Amino acid sequence: MVARERRGEVVDRGAVKNACQMLMVLGIDSRAVYEEDFELPFLEQSAEFYRLESQKFLAENSASVYIKKVEARINEEAERATHYLDKSTEEPIVRVLEAELICKHMKTIVEMENSGVVHMLKNNKTDDLGCMYKLFIRVQEGLKTMCECVSGYLREQGKALVTEEEGGNKNAIQYIQDLLDLKDRFDHFLHESFNDDRLFKQTISGDFEYFLNLNNKSPEYLSLFIDDKLKKGVKGMSEQEVEVVLDKAMVLFRFLQEKDVFERYYKQHLAKRLLLNKSVSDDSEKNMISKLKTECGCQFTSKLEGMFKDMTVSNTTMEEFKNHIQTSGTSLHGVDLNVRVLTTGFWPTQSATPKCNVPTQPRNAFEAFRRFYLGKHSGRQLTLQPSLGSADLNASFYAPKKQDSGSSGPQVRKHILQVSSYQMVILMLFNTRENCSYEEIAQETDIPTRDLIRALQSLACGKPTQRVLSKEPKSKEIEPNDAFTVNDHFTSKLHRVKIQTVAAKGESEPERKETRSRVDEDRKHEIEAAIVRIMKSRKRRSHNLLVAEVTEQLKSRFLPSPVVIKKRIENLIEREYLARTPDDRKVYTYVA
Amino acid sequence: MPPRRKRKTTLVEEQTTIPKRSRKESSSRKKNAAYDPLREPFSNKRCQIWFQEYSSDEDGLGPEGMEKFCEDIGVEPENIVMLVIAWKLEAKQMGFFTLDEWLKGMTQLQVDSVIKIRAKLEFLRSLLNDPVLFKQIYRFAYDFARDKDQRSMDIETAKIMLSLLLGRQWVLFSSFHQFLEQSKYKVINKDQWCNILEFSRTINSDLSNYDEDGAWPVMLDEFVEWQRARALS
Repeated sequence: MVARERRGEVVDRGAVKNACQMLMVLGIDSRAVYEEDFELPFLEQSAEFYRLESQKFLAENSASVYIKKVEARINEEAERATHYLDKSTEEPIVRVLEAELICKHMKTIVEMENSGVVHMLKNNKTDDLGCMYKLFIRVQEGLKTMCECVSGYLREQGKALVTEEEGGNKNAIQYIQDLLDLKDRFDHFLHESFNDDRLFKQTISGDFEYFLNLNNKSPEYLSLFIDDKLKKGVKGMSEQEVEVVLDKAMVLFRFLQEKDVFERYYKQHLAKRLLLNKSVSDDSEKNMISKLKTECGCQFTSKLEGMFKDMTVSNTTMEEFKNHIQTSGTSLHGVDLNVRVLTTGFWPTQSATPKCNVPTQPRNAFEAFRRFYLGKHSGRQLTLQPSLGSADLNASFYAPKKQDSGSSGPQVRKHILQVSSYQMVILMLFNTRENCSYEEIAQETDIPTRDLIRALQSLACGKPTQRVLSKEPKSKEIEPNDAFTVNDHFTSKLHRVKIQTVAAKGESEPERKETRSRVDEDRKHEIEAAIVRIMKSRKRRSHNLLVAEVTEQLKSRFLPSPVVIKKRIENLIEREYLARTPDDRKVYTYVA
Repeated sequence: MPPRRKRKTTLVEEQTTIPKRSRKESSSRKKNAAYDPLREPFSNKRCQIWFQEYSSDEDGLGPEGMEKFCEDIGVEPENIVMLVIAWKLEAKQMGFFTLDEWLKGMTQLQVDSVIKIRAKLEFLRSLLNDPVLFKQIYRFAYDFARDKDQRSMDIETAKIMLSLLLGRQWVLFSSFHQFLEQSKYKVINKDQWCNILEFSRTINSDLSNYDEDGAWPVMLDEFVEWQRARALS
């Protein structure tokens, strides 16, 4: 009769109920009679019934429909048990259903083409996923099966986002934004469909960590992204929105394995923002730094904070300098000087201060400052960094505007040009002569080649409103035989013209390699310091335990490979900081 | 103890080869048939005088003297027994013995003449068979043979010394030698040196029991990798 009801017919429930009760009573104190005579065959028959039904359903329906049907059947059986079978039958029958309808077909459901998990994720079928989740949570391994499928899809998507060809320079900001969007999507699924389930949460995090670190430029890109959000002119975002984005960026930061690489780039980008006055506000900068501090501790951020302090102190110093100039009547040779003094340890260092032949006027002005500063702080050393500075130049252009007709004579157009220090040095050459060849410029300015080319490109090859110099021949590239003159036909609507330096958003390959090698050097030192620290306190440690401890200590900054650690250990043995114990060569001791 | 026959011959040899300098001693000694220079008690003075046959100046015996010494005792300079002798003498620098080293070492050996040391050569060679002593000699060889200006031993010297010490009993030696030739290593440090011995003693020739987590120096990890790659091709 139950079978009939399942098929949709109406049966006499009361009769069945009485029959069951009678069987129960027959068993007096136990369910044995009930069980034997009714329940067992009932369960067997049910299993058979549902086995057939599930196969039929799967063949005919999509995953989401199947799931809903299963849900319906389960409710039906539970209700049946409550109503007229013995209540104790509810649990076993539900389990039978679960086994037949769900367990046996888990993978099939999940992987169903065009309707399985992947399809649901692609098409944002949040509700369907939710139903599947609620269903699968009933069975062991149910969630695991689902989760594996979700993870596979996520990894595939993530990998697609992070992969770039050799030497390709992806737009960093787009790269990170895409990843943030992906994270948002999956956070949505996690919350709406998966009920913030811990297994899913951990899996998603693990997947992000996996593919984010597949691309070793991720730390640089993340820093560039944050840099973009902290610069002036962040388009169309309120302060609050920026805050939210930065918090999301921090989530990605946590997944980075090479946090020390990020630190290096962040320092570089922050330095540029501070020195070129591009920060949107000090507060938002400090906010970001405190976020990093919470994640990584003071060691990470102390230098960044030092950079801020330098800026403040420099402002004070300049005030004092200005007073000094007035009271002592020192001449600055017509230069309105602004100096920022940077403490070497805090700021990103160049390998060596690049040379540059600074023209007389600015040089003398700087000397005046140097005398003043060293008078106050004897024992310090000041080195001018021409690669970081900027200058405002008064420029006069002596040719009439091309559009001008009927002008009375040669007009002098004056503009203020905002340029980098290197560009200033180049332009001032033209005060003494009309033409300069590339070779001459290179020789007289002594500017490093790569920077020289960049500077000349921005002065001579950019947009017409930026072309302060004319170049023969008029190509985009700078060749050694090029000749430069002042572009007297230069025009601009603005009185104050800022010359953009042709700067790649990311680093060029050689620069990246250099950064990488510096990171590796630093890591060697950090690993050695960790080894010595651990051995000093432990006195004796076996190789494997030492390697494990070192990895543990450093993992918040980067993941050292066991081979590199081993090399450092060997190096320390050679330098007699460590020794192998004579009885067991796998155990090291600290040599005081 | 050498058989009677031999003794007579050596006696004869001795009489003709005893250097003039020891005339003083031999004249005071009774020239009798039972005279056995090997049985003579050790004399510090004789030892010192013997040293002077080879030493060029007050303090030391240099490469020329060493050559003569080797000739006298009938051993080639590259022979491993020379290393054992140096070890006994606790000599600091290959090719040189100081008077102090000589006296201390020879006294320990109770040797004060060529004939006595020749008699001990077998014994000295046999020390290499004792694993504990061999290890000591092997380790001694590192500081002995390296250039004292450097902390580490240059690779060429290392190859020679390793060949001398391990060439015969370590099956993998020729492979290791090849590995070093094609590698970029210019020096071998003491840690690597000592571990090579351990490796040769504990690791099977098919490398089957090599454990990557065994805290072996990276050089040996690389050797194993290289050797395994060769075995496959």
